[in-house]
Amino acid sequence: MPINIPELIIPLLPWIRGVVGLVLIGAIFLAAMGAVWLERKLSADIQSRMGPCRVGKYGLLQLVADAIKLFTKEDLKPWNADSLLFNNANIFMIGSIFLMLVALPVGAIFINGVEYPLAVTQMDISVLYIEAVSALSIFGIFMVAYGSNNKYSLLGAFRNFARMVGYEVPLGITVISVAVMTGSLSIVDISRSQGLHWNIFLQPLGCFVFFVSLMADMGRLPFDQNESEEEIIAGWITEYCGMRFGLGFFAEYMHMVLGSFLVALLFLGGWNVPGFVANNPVLGLIAPTGFLLVKAVFVLMVIIGLRWAVPRFRIDQVVDLSWKKLFPLALLNLVWAVGLGLYLGA
Amino acid sequence: MDVTEILKSLTGTFPEAISEATAESEIRARAYVDKEKAKEVCQYLKDSLQFDHLCSVCGVDYIKRNEFEVVYHIASYDHPVVLMLKAKLPRENPEIESIVSVYWNVNWYERETYELFGIVFKNHPNLKPLILPEDMLGEWPLRKDYEGFPNKTARNLV
Amino acid sequence: MEEQLEPNEMIVHLGPQHPMQPGPFRLNLRLKGETVVDADIELGFIHKGIEKILENKTYLQGITIVDRICYLVALVNEECFVGCTEKLLGIEPPERSKYIRVILDELTRIQSHLLGIGEFAEFIGFVSMFMYAVREREEVLSLIDMVTGARVTHSYLKFGGVRDDLPDGFKEKTTPVLNDLKKEVDNFEQMFHTDRIYRERTVGVGVLTADVAKSLGVSGPALRATGVPFDIRKNEPYLVYKDLDFKVCTETAGDCFARVQVRLNEIRESIYILEQCLDQIPNGPLFPENTLYGRRTPVMRVPAGEVFHRVEDPRGEMGMYMVSDGSDKPYRVKVRGPYYPTLQALPPLIIGTTVADVAAISGSMDGCTSEADR
Repeated sequence: MPINIPELIIPLLPWIRGVVGLVLIGAIFLAAMGAVWLERKLSADIQSRMGPCRVGKYGLLQLVADAIKLFTKEDLKPWNADSLLFNNANIFMIGSIFLMLVALPVGAIFINGVEYPLAVTQMDISVLYIEAVSALSIFGIFMVAYGSNNKYSLLGAFRNFARMVGYEVPLGITVISVAVMTGSLSIVDISRSQGLHWNIFLQPLGCFVFFVSLMADMGRLPFDQNESEEEIIAGWITEYCGMRFGLGFFAEYMHMVLGSFLVALLFLGGWNVPGFVANNPVLGLIAPTGFLLVKAVFVLMVIIGLRWAVPRFRIDQVVDLSWKKLFPLALLNLVWAVGLGLYLGA
Repeated sequence: MDVTEILKSLTGTFPEAISEATAESEIRARAYVDKEKAKEVCQYLKDSLQFDHLCSVCGVDYIKRNEFEVVYHIASYDHPVVLMLKAKLPRENPEIESIVSVYWNVNWYERETYELFGIVFKNHPNLKPLILPEDMLGEWPLRKDYEGFPNKTARNLV
Repeated sequence: MEEQLEPNEMIVHLGPQHPMQPGPFRLNLRLKGETVVDADIELGFIHKGIEKILENKTYLQGITIVDRICYLVALVNEECFVGCTEKLLGIEPPERSKYIRVILDELTRIQSHLLGIGEFAEFIGFVSMFMYAVREREEVLSLIDMVTGARVTHSYLKFGGVRDDLPDGFKEKTTPVLNDLKKEVDNFEQMFHTDRIYRERTVGVGVLTADVAKSLGVSGPALRATGVPFDIRKNEPYLVYKDLDFKVCTETAGDCFARVQVRLNEIRESIYILEQCLDQIPNGPLFPENTLYGRRTPVMRVPAGEVFHRVEDPRGEMGMYMVSDGSDKPYRVKVRGPYYPTLQALPPLIIGTTVADVAAISGSMDGCTSEADR
């Protein structure tokens, strides 16, 4: 949509972009801290105990205390670790999150009935771009695990690869089937095209396969073999101390937050609100974004709750699940989506 | 099987190896066994008298009589009799044949008896210290004339 | 095991400190990828020298030390030691003391099995199950605390009886706890049976057949899960077990699932035994009549002799061989713990499985390294 930029602002645009970038980084860190707090409180509820309850009201400042602790710890490196891999792995982990953040819309505002999505950039191929960039984190995890000079981390690295290779394929196929039915690869278009008919009703199998593959992609239980505490101590991140560990830990939770946004946008109707709300001047500003946030938080709570409700798979069962069960289901869903798209289009 | 039948069969088959066989109660029996024949007696117990559960093997140091005793407790999964076999060994050079080929789980019991008393079990596949550190091999802590580690003794507190 | 390693083999030490162990021991694994090719166990990290200590302490002091063989099931260890000494002394405790001892033994069995089930669930990633099991265990521990005054290492038994009588209102406080426990055990069983991932991790994993189990020397729930009905409480009944009605729980599959199922059933049987005991317990003295055992006599000479006494520990068969030479200290005490042969049988069981299964198998054996090392 064309916005008239006055001549005065053009030299200031790089600064404005810098400020927006810093605000986004701060926002995503805050969102990750919120996700960690939510996980700790929700898991405590499931296990009939209290979660963090002393630092701040309802333990909300617990993450601030944890961040201070992580910043002030000593940064150790194992004796024979590979410096290049060990020191730079965090760049890939956090970098993939920031790159994903660039194209993901976090809401929309309606001014005079015209919709302005809140995204940093709007690409034509944004869904494909998000998909590709979220796979960059594999490099980060493998660099840590391989460069730590530790056999437990190495076992974690092998399991990680086996898992990621298997689950990227059904993930990509379900995303493509959504795009095929909508007719566009841009996430803004996909979200806009779901009016009352959310994609979860049109492609229930696709939503299920996408959700399971996303959980495996993020490395959440029941798929967290690479960091399973009981067998290989902390798996891939055993040798990281202090804020290096903190960045890896937060990267996982940021990935979780962005993943739940992705589910909400692709399958749960995005930010679509009924017409009368959109035309209302006040509600049009906050309702679509708020609605999207509510859906994302709901998906986040389901992901968190699932972690504490089931045991963990063995790695060969994980690989078995992805290639023998999810891959054929994803292909079936693609055929269904193509057929449905042609029927609805005609 | 009755405890008296068991003792009768045992003394009947090994008249010179078993001595002082008594039945202490319905479910406990004891006998002294010659140390050369311990393995054969155990094999006979396992094959014919259904004694297939080895409870424990331990050593006792009788310093006043100047000998060791290796005590085998053998029980059964089918009948409730527990047989206690004792073999006397001289204190200078205690050696006895290992019964690992008869009962698989006696492996660790014999290792432990070796490192605590110094009783050598011949033909044992892996006679290394089990629960003591490697550098304590040779000190035989559970003997009655053990001096203490390292220069401390256990006081008698009454 | 340290011989020439092939290109894709490596040796991993599941060393003395590891989140998944029931105590410190070192498990050396030789892995090819994720499959275990060879395994070896080293013990001795928690060796306290209990057998040597017991030779230098009197019998009464020995009760406190025997507690520490396995701190989780301290009352059963005391039962074994006190039973041995009573056989040497030739006395028998009166009926009320016997019933109190059975009540405490069964409560100990319940809390040990709850912890075993919870720890096994934690080792395969089912952390919430551990929290639920431990929550139930708190109730049982507070019952034991009410009677003995401590949650672990109680020092409650005495020769010829028990230290103190049951408190007033014990039966009224126990009955609601047992009823709640029955419902919770049903809940646990349903959770285990209907969870698909749990079944995939446990059914067919670590299978023991009856012959292999007998030759390896395991006892306890691991043996009863293969179909052999071997329970010391039925084979040679001690205390009042011959007057009580209970059955020996067995399963036939012999895998991890069956072992956990046997423990769940044993909790139910223990609850049934407790209800019978609370109904049948007679009033009477705590120590034998016309003897000095009720008084605090620190010096007590035991007649010379030898005895071997076995009890049914929650983990298997526990035995003690005691030699006395007529003085006030034992001459030799040999403690036969139930987890010792099970730990010895672990390397042959895990060869050929993956690292994840090592956690499941060693967790389902539910051990306490402290009693293997003594």
